[in-house]
Amino acid sequence: MSTDDESFHPLGQEWEDELETMLDDTEYDSDLGMEMAKDAMRVTKGELSEADFHEKYHEDVMDEFGVDDRPTEEAYEEAKKNAGGFAEMLKSFDGDGDESRRDVMKKMGVGAAAVGLGAWGTAEGGQPNVADESGGHSSEAHREGDTQWGMAIDLERCDGCLSCVVACGEENNLDQGVNWMYVLDYEDAGADTSRNRLVRPCQHCTDAPCEKVCPTTARHTRDKDGLVLTDYDVCIGCRYCQVACPYGVNYFQWDEPDVSTEEIAEANDGEGDMMVDDRGRWVDSRSPRGTMSKCTMCPSRQDGFSGEEKVGTSACEDACPPDAIQFGNMRDENSDPQRYIENPSRGRALRDLGDKETTAPSLNAIEEDIADADADLASVLEASEDLDEETLRTMKAIEIVTEDFGEGDADSVDYEVHISDIFDLLEEHGLDLDSQEVLVELDLADEPDEGEEFDGADEGDAQDAIDDYDGRPSSSFKLLEDVGTNPNVVYFGNEPGPNAEQVEGPSAYADISYERADGSEPNLVDNRKEEVLDEGTVGDAGVSL
Amino acid sequence: MSTKTPSKADILRPIGTFSKKYLAVYSIAALGLIAFLIAWAYQLQKGLIVTGLGDWGTGGGATWGLYIGAFIWWVGVAHGGIILSASVRLLGMDRYMPVARIAEMTTIGGLSAAGFYILVHMGRPDRMVTSVLGHFHITVNNSPLVWDVTVITAYFVLSATYLGLTIRYDVNRLRDDLPDKFEPIYKIITFGYSEKEDEIIQRMVWWLAAAVIIMAPLLLHGGVIPWLFSLLPAMPAWTGGIQGPMFLSIALMSAISGVMIISYTFRRVYNWEHIITDDIFRGLLLWLGFFTLLFLWFQLQSVLNGVFLGPLNTAHAAEGKMAHPAYQVAMTMIFLTLVYIFLQAIRPALFSKTRALIASCAILAGTLTEKILFVVEGFFHPTFDIYSATPGTYFPSLIEILSLVGTVSLVALLFLNLAKLVPVVELHAIEHLTGGHDHEHGHEETTKTETEPEVKA
Repeated sequence: MSTDDESFHPLGQEWEDELETMLDDTEYDSDLGMEMAKDAMRVTKGELSEADFHEKYHEDVMDEFGVDDRPTEEAYEEAKKNAGGFAEMLKSFDGDGDESRRDVMKKMGVGAAAVGLGAWGTAEGGQPNVADESGGHSSEAHREGDTQWGMAIDLERCDGCLSCVVACGEENNLDQGVNWMYVLDYEDAGADTSRNRLVRPCQHCTDAPCEKVCPTTARHTRDKDGLVLTDYDVCIGCRYCQVACPYGVNYFQWDEPDVSTEEIAEANDGEGDMMVDDRGRWVDSRSPRGTMSKCTMCPSRQDGFSGEEKVGTSACEDACPPDAIQFGNMRDENSDPQRYIENPSRGRALRDLGDKETTAPSLNAIEEDIADADADLASVLEASEDLDEETLRTMKAIEIVTEDFGEGDADSVDYEVHISDIFDLLEEHGLDLDSQEVLVELDLADEPDEGEEFDGADEGDAQDAIDDYDGRPSSSFKLLEDVGTNPNVVYFGNEPGPNAEQVEGPSAYADISYERADGSEPNLVDNRKEEVLDEGTVGDAGVSL
Repeated sequence: MSTKTPSKADILRPIGTFSKKYLAVYSIAALGLIAFLIAWAYQLQKGLIVTGLGDWGTGGGATWGLYIGAFIWWVGVAHGGIILSASVRLLGMDRYMPVARIAEMTTIGGLSAAGFYILVHMGRPDRMVTSVLGHFHITVNNSPLVWDVTVITAYFVLSATYLGLTIRYDVNRLRDDLPDKFEPIYKIITFGYSEKEDEIIQRMVWWLAAAVIIMAPLLLHGGVIPWLFSLLPAMPAWTGGIQGPMFLSIALMSAISGVMIISYTFRRVYNWEHIITDDIFRGLLLWLGFFTLLFLWFQLQSVLNGVFLGPLNTAHAAEGKMAHPAYQVAMTMIFLTLVYIFLQAIRPALFSKTRALIASCAILAGTLTEKILFVVEGFFHPTFDIYSATPGTYFPSLIEILSLVGTVSLVALLFLNLAKLVPVVELHAIEHLTGGHDHEHGHEETTKTETEPEVKA
C-alpha cells in the first residue's frame, strides 16, 4: 500500500478505481458515491462523526435514491454491539440474500456503502479477503450463499448398528479401516453410560483448521454449498490437514486403493462418475494413492448426479434405520436438520408416526378397521388396531406445533403428509379432529370456562404430548465447539467429556462386511494401523514409541 | 597452545591431498546415501505404507513421525549453524573464526537434508511445484507449512550468499594454489571480482549477519518452525508459546554439537591443532552448556504447565511425555552432559577433546530423540482423546531409519566434496591468527614459492 498515491482508501488507488468503475456501471451518481466514500473514510479516522456524515448526505441520498435506509446513529450504536458491526448495517441497504455481494454493491450504488464500508472494515482490523480473488478457495467466515450442508444427529436414537459406516464404505468404495463415518460407544464419568454413543462424520467446519493449514488449497470449501472437500488432483499428501483436524476424521491413502477408478466409473455410469463434481474437480469417492481423504457429505448427490431425489441426502442418512441422521441445508430453517434442531422431540415423534415404511400406522389398515365404526373418537380408537389414543394425540400434537404442516421439500414432510392423509381419512369418516370435544378428550385443549369461547388447541399441551411420546434429548451440542471450528453438525444426546474413552459397541466392526464396486466384500476394520497398515511396513518391529 | 604458526598451506592441505582414508570415508558415505535412495525409490513405488506411520484417531497411528522429526532437527542444525557463524561476524567473536565457515557449510548441509526430507515425507512429491508454488499467493496467507518453506528457502539463499561472498575472497587470493581441474568453478565463484569490492563485501556480510541474528528468533527457528505445531488448536502436547524458545535452544545445541564433531574430525585428519585449537572447543562446550541449560529450563516449564492442576488435555499430554522412557533417556543424557560441561568449566583438567566429542554426540542423539518424540506425542495425546485406538502405535520402519543414514551421508558427502574444492577454514581466520595483513604478505610469498613446483607438476 503506497503512501504517495492520492487514494483515500487504505487498500490504495487500484482498489478505489475498481470500485469507481463499478459505480459507473450503475444508474446512480458515481461522484456522489465517491464523495460519500471519502467522508466515510474520515468517519473511520474519527475526523467526522457518524451523525454528521448522515446529516450531510441525507438530502442527496433522498434525491438520488428516493430513500435513505442508512441507519441512524442509534442503529449504528446497536450494530456495534453486535459482532457484525458495519457488515450488519450493509444489509440494511439492500439484499434479499439472493444476490452476490457485487450485485448488492452495484445496486446500492452508494460509494459510501461500497467503498467507505469496505474501508471501515479495513480500518477496524479486518483484511481484504485475498482468498476470494482466487476463486474456489474461500476463507469460510466470508462465504456467502444460501446453502451450507450439514447434519443434525440424534445420538439417543442411534442403535450402533453401523449401517451408516457400511453405506459410506459402499458409496465411496473405501479401503478397509477408512471410516469416513465412524460410530463409537464410550465410557464417561458420571453420565448415564447406557446412552453414551457418538456418530462421527466430518464436521464440515465453517472455520476448518484443515483448510487453513493446507499448503496447496487442495483442501477447500466449496463456495456454493460449504462442503469441505479435497481436490485429489492437487493434494501433495503432506498430511498437515490430518494433523490440524481436532476430530481425527482424515484418512490418508498410504498405498494403492483397493478399488480402481475404472471400476468406480463403471459402477456409476449415470450422469456423474461419483468422482468428479459439477465444477469438474475430483473430490468424491476414495482418494488415490498418496493423498488425503475424509467424509465428503456426498457431493455427487448434492450436484444431482445421483438423481434429483438424492439431492439433499447422504448415503449414511439414507441407510440409518432409526433415522438418527438428518442431512440438509443448515441455512434453511425448513430443512430437515433445522426442523429437528428447532424441536427435536417433534422430529422423533414425527418419524415414528409418519414413516409408513417402518413404524407409522398404516392408512389402509385404519381404513379397513374403522369402516363399520361409529364416528366418535372412542369408537374409532377402539376399532383401529394401529391407532390408540396416545398415537392419535401425538399425531395431532405434531400438526398443532408445526407451521406449514405438510408443506416444503424436506424429507420429513413426507411423514407429515402421511399423518395428514390419516387425518383426512378420519375427517371423511366423520371425526372432526379440530372440534372441542375431540381436542379436549385428547388432552390437547382445555375446556373453556363458563361463558368463554373455545379457543382451540393449546400448543403447550401439544408440545407436552410430543415430549412424552419419544422423550426430549438430554442435551444438544456441537463437538469441541470451544476450539472455534464452527462445525456444521449438531448433536442431540450426551456430550462426551474430556475423560470419555471408547468402549466396545453393540456391533463389532469386524463382524460386518460391505460391498464395493469391484465385487469385493471385505469386513469393516476399526484399527487400520494394526489390521491393515502394519502389513505394508518395511521391518515392522512390533514395538512402539 | 601450539607452537606451529597457522599458514595458508594449512588450510590448503585438504585440497591438495588425496588419501585412501578419504576414499574409504567417501565410499561409505556414498553407499549410505545410495542405500537410502534405493529405499526411497521403493517407497515411491509402494507408497508411504512402507513407513510405520498411520492415521491418528480411529486408525491407531501417528500421522507424522521420523521424517518430520528429522526434518525439524536438520533445520535446527542448519539454523543454529548460521546463527553461530553470524555471531562470529557480528559480535566480533574472533576466537571462533576458524570454525565459522564449517558452521556455514553445516547450514547448507542441514538445509539440504531438511529439504530432502520434505520430498521424502510427501505422498505426491511430484506435485511440489504445481500444487505448492501454483497456489503460493493464497496459501502463504494461511498455512504455517508454506511459511516454513518460504522462510527456509529465504535462509538458504541468505546462507549461500553469505558463504559464497566469503569464499569469493579466499578463492581469489588462493587461486594459484588451487587445483586447475576445478578452474571453471573458480571462475564462476570469482566472476567479476575486483579488490575494490572487499570492503563492500565486508559490509554486506555484516548486514547479512545482522539479518540472520535478528530474524532467527523472530522468524526462523524461534518462529515458523515451532508454529508449524504450536499454533494448532487441539494438540496440547505441541501448544504453547514456550515452543519458540524451546526450538531455538535445541537448534543452537544441535548446531554447536554438529560443528564440534565436524571440527574435531578436520582437526584430527589435517593436524589443525594450531588452527582449531583446544580453546575453541572449550569455548564451544561452554556455549553448548549454556543453551543446554536453557533447553532443560524450557522443558521444565512446558512439562510443569499441565501436570499441576491441568487443564485435562494439557495434563494428559504432559504426563504422557514425562512417562515416556525415550523422553526420560534423552533428558537424562542431556542433563548428564550439562553436568559434565559445568564440572570441566570449574576444573579445566576434566576437559578433553574426546570428552567434548562424546558430549556433542550425546546432545545430538538427545535432541534428535526429543524431536521425533515431540512430533509423535502430538498424535498420541490430542484434546479429542476418545478413540480407543488413541494413543496409537508408531515405530520408524527400516526405510525411515535408513533415511537418517542417508541424510547424514548426504551432509558428509557435501563436506567431503567442499573440502576438496575450497578451504573449509577461511583465509581471514588465518590472517587473524597470524596477526594482520603485513605478516600475511610475507607468508604469501613463501607459500607461492613453496607451491610452485606443485603447480608445474
